[in-house]
Amino acid sequence: MSLTIDRLSQAGRWRKRAPSEKAVLALGLLVLSLALPPWPGGALVLGAAWGLALGGARISAGDWLRLNLLPLGFVLTGAATLAVEVDSLGLHLAADQGRRAAEVVLRAASAASALLLLAATTPAPDLVRGLRRIGLPPEIAEIMLLTWHFLFLLLDQATAIRTAQEARLGWFGPRRQVRSLGLLIAQLLPRAMERARRLEIGLAARGFDGSLPMISTAHPASVPVLALILGGQALLAGVSLWLG
Amino acid sequence: MHIMEGFLPAGHALAWTCVSAPFVVLGARSLKRIVAERPEARLDIAASAGFTFVLSALKLPSVTGSCSHPTGTALGAMQFGPGIMAVIGAIVLLFQGLLLAHGGLSTMGANVFSMAIAGPWVAYGVWRLAGRLGAPLAVAVFLSAFLGDLATYVTTSFQLALAFPDAETGFAGAFAKFGGIFAITQLPLAVAEGLVTVVVMNALAGRRMRIEGAKA
Repeated sequence: MSLTIDRLSQAGRWRKRAPSEKAVLALGLLVLSLALPPWPGGALVLGAAWGLALGGARISAGDWLRLNLLPLGFVLTGAATLAVEVDSLGLHLAADQGRRAAEVVLRAASAASALLLLAATTPAPDLVRGLRRIGLPPEIAEIMLLTWHFLFLLLDQATAIRTAQEARLGWFGPRRQVRSLGLLIAQLLPRAMERARRLEIGLAARGFDGSLPMISTAHPASVPVLALILGGQALLAGVSLWLG
Repeated sequence: MHIMEGFLPAGHALAWTCVSAPFVVLGARSLKRIVAERPEARLDIAASAGFTFVLSALKLPSVTGSCSHPTGTALGAMQFGPGIMAVIGAIVLLFQGLLLAHGGLSTMGANVFSMAIAGPWVAYGVWRLAGRLGAPLAVAVFLSAFLGDLATYVTTSFQLALAFPDAETGFAGAFAKFGGIFAITQLPLAVAEGLVTVVVMNALAGRRMRIEGAKA
């Protein structure tokens, strides 16, 4: 089983760009989306993130829309709560006519797009290695990399168990769904531990010393590119403040 | 109950990160100690974190028709104890943000507090208390998972109400509003997760007994 974000980040056009360049670009946009006023700052960040994802990283419009729909759905549900007020008369539209809700939607949509830009262009192990370079303890970094390896193996197993259950009408009706899901989880947990034990024996036989070095194909960061990114972000902040 | 990226104002996001950080640092320290004593434990921990992540990719049937996923909060707390769950939860939340677009980086502190600190501690406390009071295993497991889930959802409502107080009724009104709206989906989900966790623990207990029997 593959996850869309992982597939895009592994096979995308920006795969070989330096992770630090992509991190500065996306996290810079994320900070701007939180620091600038939602209008016009958030809207500008949203436009920049979508432009970079579709035009720069060449993520297909369908994939990018699908990625954005999930967080947007959650944000809209939460924002609906902000658009209403509760008092002794009951539930009614907020006094600001939903202005605060609209601002939150704009800020969250721009921040989520900035995060998705990073996630869909940079594979998770590259990010963990980056975190390691800026001070994450090596033990935690190794556990994170091992977790990343495990989750794809376990997703495959969970999918296989679920297919087998569905073939026997195990997901027909709510009672069976609860039981099947419980059995699936109960099957998966010992299998995860069994996998860990087998991997441990395999690694111990190869002299495992606690580090799992992996080859990174990414190029080193380019100073002119970093300067361009920071300049662009400063320009975006300036335009936002000027328009606001 | 993930709070999505950018939903919280910057000040609140930062404050919740500061509140969660000591728990995660303490969890990381005990994790480092365990790994130093038993280097092979890192594989068990990674497999468990991978398992918790996979739980979030599994759909949970809900009475209201909406679909969500198990949080694994109680299962994790019963498996590792709530202390270490803070760091495992933080790793899982980071991967959920990066691979599933669930949650986010700026809201990670708030999400870690509700899902990897408050939920597991309540689940663990209920589990221990029910055991001490002599409750049957199934009841203890159900209450632990159900109340652990509820604690997560109440904490999230608290975080949102603090960030977005109602214009007229203030924090209390906003808390009632968020809590009331989320209750429609979260209460049935908490019941479903409680039942699923009971099935999991029963199946695991049966398995362990069979293995012990085989050895004897």
